[in-house]
Amino acid sequence: MDSNNAPTDVAISLRVNGTLRKLDVPPNVVLLDALRERIGLTGTKKGCDHGQCGACTVLINGQAVNSCLALAVVHDGDDITTVEGLARDGELSPLQQAFLDHDAYQCGYCTPGQLTSATELLNNDSVGSSDADVAEAMSGNICRCGAYKNIRAAIQQARGNPGLNQS
Amino acid sequence: MSDSIIGAAVSRIDGPDKLTGRARYAGDFQPEGMVYAYGVYSTIARGRITGIDTTLAMRSPGVIDIFHHGRFPRLHRSPGTFAEENVVDEKRTPFEDDRIHYMGQFVALVVAETYEQARAAAYKVRVDYERDAQRAAATLAQGIEDNGVEHANDSERGDPAGAYDGAAYRVDAVYTTPVETHNPMETHATVAEWVDGRLRVFDSTQGVIFTRNTLSRVFDLDPSQVEVHADFIGSGFGGKLWVWPHCVATCAAAREVGRPVQFVLPRQQMFTTVGHRPETRQHVRLGADDDGRLLSIRHETINSSSPVGTVVEACGGSTQGLYACDNLRISHATAITNRGTPTAMRAPGAGVGLFALESAMDELAAELGIDPLELRRRNFTAHDQGADKPYSSNHLLECYDRAAEAFGWSRRTPEVGSMRDGDRILGWGMAACNWEAMRNPCDARVALRADGTASIHCASQDIGTGTYTILAQIASHELGLPLESIHVTLGDSTFPHGPISGGSWATATLLPAVAEASRAAIKKLKNYARNAASPLAGARGDSLVYDSGRLSDDSGRSATVAEILGAQSLANAVGEAHTGGAPDSGYSFDSFGVHFVEVAWEPEIAHLEVTRVVSAIDAGAIINAKSARNQVEGAVVMGLGSALLETTEYDERNARPVNSNYAEYLVPVNADMPDLDVILLDHPDYELNEFGARGIGEIGLTGMQAAVANAVYHATGRRVRDLPIMLDKLIDDD
Repeated sequence: MDSNNAPTDVAISLRVNGTLRKLDVPPNVVLLDALRERIGLTGTKKGCDHGQCGACTVLINGQAVNSCLALAVVHDGDDITTVEGLARDGELSPLQQAFLDHDAYQCGYCTPGQLTSATELLNNDSVGSSDADVAEAMSGNICRCGAYKNIRAAIQQARGNPGLNQS
Repeated sequence: MSDSIIGAAVSRIDGPDKLTGRARYAGDFQPEGMVYAYGVYSTIARGRITGIDTTLAMRSPGVIDIFHHGRFPRLHRSPGTFAEENVVDEKRTPFEDDRIHYMGQFVALVVAETYEQARAAAYKVRVDYERDAQRAAATLAQGIEDNGVEHANDSERGDPAGAYDGAAYRVDAVYTTPVETHNPMETHATVAEWVDGRLRVFDSTQGVIFTRNTLSRVFDLDPSQVEVHADFIGSGFGGKLWVWPHCVATCAAAREVGRPVQFVLPRQQMFTTVGHRPETRQHVRLGADDDGRLLSIRHETINSSSPVGTVVEACGGSTQGLYACDNLRISHATAITNRGTPTAMRAPGAGVGLFALESAMDELAAELGIDPLELRRRNFTAHDQGADKPYSSNHLLECYDRAAEAFGWSRRTPEVGSMRDGDRILGWGMAACNWEAMRNPCDARVALRADGTASIHCASQDIGTGTYTILAQIASHELGLPLESIHVTLGDSTFPHGPISGGSWATATLLPAVAEASRAAIKKLKNYARNAASPLAGARGDSLVYDSGRLSDDSGRSATVAEILGAQSLANAVGEAHTGGAPDSGYSFDSFGVHFVEVAWEPEIAHLEVTRVVSAIDAGAIINAKSARNQVEGAVVMGLGSALLETTEYDERNARPVNSNYAEYLVPVNADMPDLDVILLDHPDYELNEFGARGIGEIGLTGMQAAVANAVYHATGRRVRDLPIMLDKLIDDD
């Protein structure tokens, strides 16, 4: 095979934040770049492109996934939620509001990933109620600014566990 | 409102943008017709390029052009001075010649229609090299051996050698710190477009003015022909202060291909071509009398530098004045290694310098049999002997008292391994923090608007520290308007001249300018209020009193800003200000603090954990209690990383950074967070500015590694003088 042949584009549709998006993508395009560069939803961030930092986390059918490790063509027909889809009717979600209240960020670059991971966590009964449980569950999302204490407190507030094992 | 807004725990005004994905970082801008650039990086660290074959790559789908030293416009070097505000650390421009100075140096740049196409083509560029006969210096040790040591600067007072020889108690130790990589979450990104000979750049920069000035020199343009934007920055920690090769290369490529170009640096190259904290070797000698009073301090540092620019890590900066001592010597030197140039990383100098000094102080306390905190109290000074000036405001002793109380330090038993929590051995350590407080000249523009709101414009940035919010707080205070009525716009080099976001000086620099501009806007409003069409027409100038968006005169008349401007069809009343740098008032300006750290050590399973940190910080007035605390908490987290995890490791055979990714260059994650208590003293330093703020971004990092190392010593009896404190340094060789 001639390596200089252009890969054939594949027609896919993604339901992104409730809106159906039809696009033709080469098979080597990852979901992260499809969202950012082809759909224009730049809220989801690229931190490492290697699935190591969590900045690109989105929800695929409700499950938190590193979108830099997900080929777009594999997710034809899937339901994608990005940070742009977390607020409802212009109102911050309780989790977003908790992040605002607790100053659970600094530069904000990891925040979309923190929020999407935490959104899944809120619906995940297998994560225990202690701060340590939350910290463990959120350790796939690096915050180089180090706002971990506030991220933890925000998630606990949104889970209805304020004050529990608070440091 | 106006009295309580300063210092309040106000939520960030830019928070909703960050929480909804609306906040736009450099790589989020997509001008019409934008194409993508991807780099090719050298795979040797020292030698020359003998050939570049782009035949296959040029045939790759979507490729527009490929640039390299044989195909690139001639550019100019930036003078690279702080005075001209055009600092660069890597002096050469990209693709200047065929020389290779470090692994990861740009050797080609591919531009293609899509990101995937640019990347695919970059992999097909074939580069042939010839290595120099002499090896590439991979480490500081190799650099010293191969290239020798170049003296940078020194200072001395008294007779440090003589006093040391006569001292009853001495410490003589060498401490080393590794290369640390900034690794902000946002890798460096540049989107560049040229319109009618003018350059417009969206850049991940901590300084839109510096970037504008540098690019104007590189491309031989007037600064007014260059526009640099940085609305949001995915932090920088010093790594984004100055222009790096990718930015210049992207701007040049955009001009050559005649379309906007986006470049996003891959994480792997964050370790090569955009700076790092250099490796240091610090020789500290302390001499003290029987009571622990310091008779002599010597702190001599060599740091790794590069063939493409010399950067001195001023480790002894804090050592000059933190403690009372009449006999002192500080020196700094560099040795060339084949790495990209180092640069400032959060708390440059003191950030690793205090690891050495504060570790040595702990060693001295052990020698003397004095409590480490008591040793520091005995050597406290309110007078900066380095500058021979009193400190404007030094509450270090109160930091000691309050943090020690909160930590429970009085319950510490001094013997190594003597404290337990069940089966775990506890170690308690402490170290002081210090950071110079600076302030620079600044311009700002504030407009009172006809809709009752106010706007602030300044060519500074918010890199995540909370600058947007504190400027709104200051304007709210001055103008008596609610916070939600203040609109702050930063990150645009066409705005009034503002500071870089670095050195912890943005706050002390910006606040006076915004306050002054706010007052100027009120003054302008009073002028307009006397005009014929105004509801307050004919009022005597000195009779007008402004309060919370309303002017009143002495005849009982009163009108709002909206009424005064609206009646005259005026959009706004604009105030502009220029404020100066730090006043020459005969004081030294510094921030201080202390960290107390508890570690738990389980030797049976070789498990070390930092369980508790209490920090007290004296950084002048706290403008925003919420974001200021966050700054210190984040600095403590970074300090923990520096103490325990972070090291960029180079293959000694070829000078390649081998752990150049987030999986192998370890930084703290959420589960690494100890129980953390930050105490902010909040004593205003009115000598530095009218609000008494000294800045708070860096102080919390300093001393952190020493506090951990000292706690580790207390738990294990092992004095780790080489960061990071990884397990191999705590377990026996056999």
